[in-house]
Amino acid sequence: MASPLPPDEDATRGPPSPASPTASFYDMSDDEEGDYSTIRHSKSGKGVKLLYAKSKVYVHPTPSAKDNIAGYIALMQQKPAANSVSSAPTSPSAGSSSGRRSAETSNLLLAWVPEGSLGDAKSIYTKVELSDSASPPKTTYLVPPPPITTTHSSSLGTYAFAVPLSDIFSILVRPPSTGWWFGSIVINTRAGDSFPALFFHDSECQSTIDQRKKLQRESFSISSSEGGGMFWGGDEVLRWMKRYVTVERSSQEPSVYMVDPNDADKLSFGSGGKPTPDHVRNALEGKHKNEPAQQKKKETGGDAVVKALTQARWTFLEKMSQVTTFTRRTAQAVAENKNIPPQVRRLMANPQVQTVSDEFDSARLYLARWAMGIAEQSERERSQRIWSAKDVLEMEDSEVGQFEILDIDAQGLSLADKRQPVTLKEWNGFFNGNTGRLEKTPDEVKERIFHGGLSADDGARKEAWLFLLGVYDWNSTKEERHAKMNSLRDEYIRLKGAWWERMVDEQGTLEEREWWKEQKMRIEKDVHRTDRHIPLFAGEDIPHPDPDSPFAEAGTNVHLEQMKDMLLTYNEYNRDLGYVQGMSDLLAPIYAVEQDDAVAFWGFVGFMERMERNFLRDQSGMRLQLLTLDHLCQLLDPKLYEHLERLDSTNFFFFFRMLLVWFKREFPFEDILRLYEGLWTDYLSSNFHLFIAMAILEKHRNIIIDHLKGFDEVLKYVNELSGTIDLPSTIVRAESLYRRFQKTVEAIDRKSNFPAAPIVRQRLPQPPTSPTGTRPGADGRPRQASSGSVDRRRPSSSASASASTSGRERTVGDHVAAGIGAEKERVISPELRALLSRDIPKLEKKEVRERGGGVGS
Amino acid sequence: MSSRKKILLKVIILGDSGVGKTSLMNQYVNKKFSASYKATIGADFLTKEVLVDDRLVTMQLWDTAGQERFQSLGVAFYRGADCCVLVYDVNNAKSFDTLDSWRDEFLIQASPMDPESFPFVVLGNKVDVGEDKRVISSKRAQAFCQAKGGIPYFETSAKEAVNVEQAFEVIARNALAQEESQDFNPDFPETIPINIGESNQGCSC
Ligand SMILES: Nc1nc2c(ncn2[C@@H]2O[C@H](COP(=O)(O)OP(=O)(O)OP(=O)(O)O)[C@@H](O)[C@H]2O)c(=O)[nH]1
Ligand SMILES: [Mg+2]
Repeated sequence: MASPLPPDEDATRGPPSPASPTASFYDMSDDEEGDYSTIRHSKSGKGVKLLYAKSKVYVHPTPSAKDNIAGYIALMQQKPAANSVSSAPTSPSAGSSSGRRSAETSNLLLAWVPEGSLGDAKSIYTKVELSDSASPPKTTYLVPPPPITTTHSSSLGTYAFAVPLSDIFSILVRPPSTGWWFGSIVINTRAGDSFPALFFHDSECQSTIDQRKKLQRESFSISSSEGGGMFWGGDEVLRWMKRYVTVERSSQEPSVYMVDPNDADKLSFGSGGKPTPDHVRNALEGKHKNEPAQQKKKETGGDAVVKALTQARWTFLEKMSQVTTFTRRTAQAVAENKNIPPQVRRLMANPQVQTVSDEFDSARLYLARWAMGIAEQSERERSQRIWSAKDVLEMEDSEVGQFEILDIDAQGLSLADKRQPVTLKEWNGFFNGNTGRLEKTPDEVKERIFHGGLSADDGARKEAWLFLLGVYDWNSTKEERHAKMNSLRDEYIRLKGAWWERMVDEQGTLEEREWWKEQKMRIEKDVHRTDRHIPLFAGEDIPHPDPDSPFAEAGTNVHLEQMKDMLLTYNEYNRDLGYVQGMSDLLAPIYAVEQDDAVAFWGFVGFMERMERNFLRDQSGMRLQLLTLDHLCQLLDPKLYEHLERLDSTNFFFFFRMLLVWFKREFPFEDILRLYEGLWTDYLSSNFHLFIAMAILEKHRNIIIDHLKGFDEVLKYVNELSGTIDLPSTIVRAESLYRRFQKTVEAIDRKSNFPAAPIVRQRLPQPPTSPTGTRPGADGRPRQASSGSVDRRRPSSSASASASTSGRERTVGDHVAAGIGAEKERVISPELRALLSRDIPKLEKKEVRERGGGVGS
Repeated sequence: MSSRKKILLKVIILGDSGVGKTSLMNQYVNKKFSASYKATIGADFLTKEVLVDDRLVTMQLWDTAGQERFQSLGVAFYRGADCCVLVYDVNNAKSFDTLDSWRDEFLIQASPMDPESFPFVVLGNKVDVGEDKRVISSKRAQAFCQAKGGIPYFETSAKEAVNVEQAFEVIARNALAQEESQDFNPDFPETIPINIGESNQGCSC
C-alpha cells in the first residue's frame, strides 16, 4: 500500500489570495516563435509558450471545501537564454541527467496558476488543455509568464508557482483512492522545499474525462499504450514531464517519482531494478503503468490481463458509489466458477487480485457483472440470428429444471414467421370490409399479437390497442365503435369538468379538499419526471398555467399538461383509489400511441382495471404477486430458490418495481410498447408478466447463485439490470417457462389421486394450443379440449379474480409448491394455479373502496 | 492501517414524495443534479466510501418511494440502520408536518436498541427556490429539531449543491458513532455469529 501522504491540511500554508499575472491578454501566434520571453532573464517579454495544461487542479488551503482554489497545472516553455539549444522532446529512456539536459530543462516550467488569475488567457489554456495531448501543440500558444518561484514561501505569498524542471528533485504522487480522496501531487525542489499539494478533481476536469473515455474505449486491448490502467490527472503530468526529463519511480518509496536522478540520488532513494512482484503490485494498485517493454514480452497474455484488471479496478473504484456489498469476501467464488472465461478465472486466482478484491468489497459484484457481460457478448456473437425454436430447445436443456424438453414448434408457421409484427394492412384484413366486424376469432388475433407484436410505425397500434385494452368490443362493428367513442369522449369531458369545478369551487369537506390538493401536487410532480427523455414529453415550450406550481419557472409543454389532465380525470373517475405513484408510468405509453387525451384516457382506464390491485393502500395485490413469484421460483428453479432463501430474499421485493409498473423502468420505451401489447392479449396467462419476471431472473440465475451473497446485492444487481435486458429473447424464454410450468402442473396433477379434480374445480382455461399439440399425449391422460376458438376475453364472474387477490392471509408454508427435495410432494398452490387462468384479475368495486385509500365517491 | 476492519454505515433517507431524496443522494454521491430523475419505485441504494476522522467507511444510502403506501413493503430495509435522514421541502408545509410521523414510523420499524439516542438528521431541501415560495422558516425547523432532542438540521439544495456535502459529513459521523456504540454492546444480537450457508440440522447436544 502507498505510504500515507500528508493529509490535505498540510496544504494550508500562506495567505489565500491568488496572484494575478503581470499581463492580461496574449494572443496565440504561429509566426512569433522566437518572440516569447525568457522570463527568468527578462520580465518584459511577450509571454511563454504553453505546451500542456490541465484544469481543475486545486489547492486546498483549509479543510473546508469552500476555500479550495481551482487552477491549472501547466508545462510551459520560456525562450532559452542566449546560446542554449532549444528544448526538444527526448525519449524517457535516453539516459539520465547531464549538463546539457539540465540547461534545456531549466527553460521548461512546471506551473500552477489559479483559474481566477488568468483573465483572457483562460481561453488559451482551455484550447491547449483540450487539444490532443499525445504531442505538444503544433501551434504556438503564448500566455502571460507566471512568476518564477523556486521555493514555496516566496515573497509573493501566493499558491501560484512556476518551477523549472531542472529545479525539481522529486514528485510525491498519491493517486485517487476512493470517492473521497482526490489524487494529488506534491512537488519537491532540489533546494529541499515543497510546494503545496495539488489536488486533481478529475471528475470536473474535461481533459481528464476525455482521456479516460479514450482509455476506456481501448481497454482490454493488448496493444500496450501508455496509461492503460487507472487513469487520473496526475498521470498526465508525469507523462508530459517524461517527454523532456527522466522520471523514475523510487523502488524504495513507490509514491516518489524522481526527476532526472543522478547516481547518488538513485543510491539513496533506490530507483533500481524492477522486480516482477512490484510490477504486478503496482499495476494492481494502479500507481504506475509504464513498465518497460521487456515485462511484456514475458507473457503477452498476462500483461493484457493485468492491464485489464488495472482497468477493471479503476472502473470499480469509479463504480464504487454504485455497487456494494458489505461483508468481507474473497474472489474465490469467481475464480472457481466454470462459467467465467478462463483468462478471467486465472486472473481471479492470482493472489494479488484476491487482495484487491478483499480490499474493495464491490470487486466481486463488479466482476460478476463483467463476467455476465462477457458471456452475453459471446452468446450474441455465436448466434446473431432470429430466435428460433432451436434456441428455445437449447434453453430447455439448460440448468433450469429437470423437466422434459417440450416441442413447442411443430405448428404450421415457423416461430420466426410468427414473430413478424402485425402491420396495419394485416390488421385491417382481419375485419370485414363492410361492417368492420372482426372475421377471425379474437384468440387468433391475440396469438398473432402475442408472438409478433404490432407494427411500430404505421398506426396499427392506435387501433389495436383499443381492442386489447377493452375500450372496443372484439365483436363490434365499425359503427358501434364509432358510437362508443363518441359517448366516451362526452364522458371524458364530463369527468374533466367535474374535477375542474371541484377545484374552482373548493367543494367538499376540508379533508376532501386537502386530498385533492395533494393529489394534484403529486400528479404535477410525477408528470414532470415521467419519460422526459421521450421527444414527446421533452422540453418546456409553453408557460406553466399555474404560477404557484414548483414548475412555474421551468415551464411545461402541451403533452405534459394533457398527462396531468388525464391523471386528474382518472383521480376523479376512480376516487376510491385515486392517483398513485407509478400510474403516470403506465399512462405515458398509451398516450404516446393514441396521442388523443380522451382516447388515451379510456385506454388507460382499461389498463388500470387489471392494474388497480398494484396500487391498493395495503399493497395486498403486490404482496400476492410477489408471493406467486416466490412459489413459481420454488417450483421451477428450486436451486435458485434455496439460494435466495439463504439470502433472506424470498420476499422477492427486488422485483417490486418490475411488477408494479410492468417493467416500465427496465426496458426502453419502444420495447415497452411491444411488451405491453403482448401482455394485454392474455394469450397464455393473464399473469404472463410473472413469467417475464421469471425469465429475467432465470437469465441471471447462475450469476446470482455464484456471486451474490446478500439481500442488498441482489436488489442492486436486479435494479441495475435496467436497460440491459433483451426483450425478444426474454419473451421467448418466458413462453418456454410458461409451457414448462403448465406441463409441471399437469404432471403433478396426474400423480395425485384425483387427477382431474383440481382442473375441473378451477375451470382451468387452456390457452389455445395447436392441433399438433404442445403436450405429449402418449401418457394416456385425456387432453384438455382446445379452447382455441372460444372467446374468453371477459370473465363473467369474479370467482377467479377474488381468488387471486385474497392470498394475503395465506402463508407460504400452507401450501408450498415445494420443489426442494425429491422426498417432498409437490403441491400446486392456488396462487400458482391461478397462473393458468386467462381471466384478467380484476378487483370488485367494494375491495377498491375498502382498500384503495382514496376519498371514495 | 490495513488491519482495520471495514465499516459499513447504513443510512435511511425518508420523507414525503417529491421532497428531493433521490436528488440529494445523487448530488452527494455522483455530484449531479438532473431534473428528470424518475419517481422512486421500490427501493434502491447508493454507496459511497468516505473518510470520517481518518477512518475509511462505506456509506450505504437507502432511498425509498415517498408515497406512504409503498412504505409497508419496504420496511425490511430499516433494520440495522445507523442513521436516519428526514427530508422535507422548505416550500411545502405538509412535507414538514409529516416529519414527525416519518420519525415515529422509522423508530417502530427499525426498532433500534436505544430509540432516544438514535441519530437522526433533518434536511430542509430546495432552499434554492425563491424566498417568496418558502413556507417553513429556519427558526421553525430548528425549533422542531431542538424539541426532538437536538437533531442536527441543515438547509440544502440538491439542485445547487448547497450544504449537501456538509450535511452528509455529519450524517456519516453520527452514523459511525452509532455503529461503534453498537459494537461495544455485548447484547447486540447481530454480533452473535450466524452460520449462514450451513443447514441447521438440529444440534448435537
Ligand atoms: N429547485 C429544486 N428542486 C429540487 C431539489 N431537489 C429536488 N428537486 C426537484 O423535486 C422533484 C422531486 O425530486 P426527487 O429527488 O425525485 O424527490 P424524491 O424525494 O426522491 O421523491 P420520491 O421518489 O417520489 O419519493 C424533482 O422535480 C426534482 O427536480 C432542489 O434542491 N431544488
Ligand atoms: Mg426518489
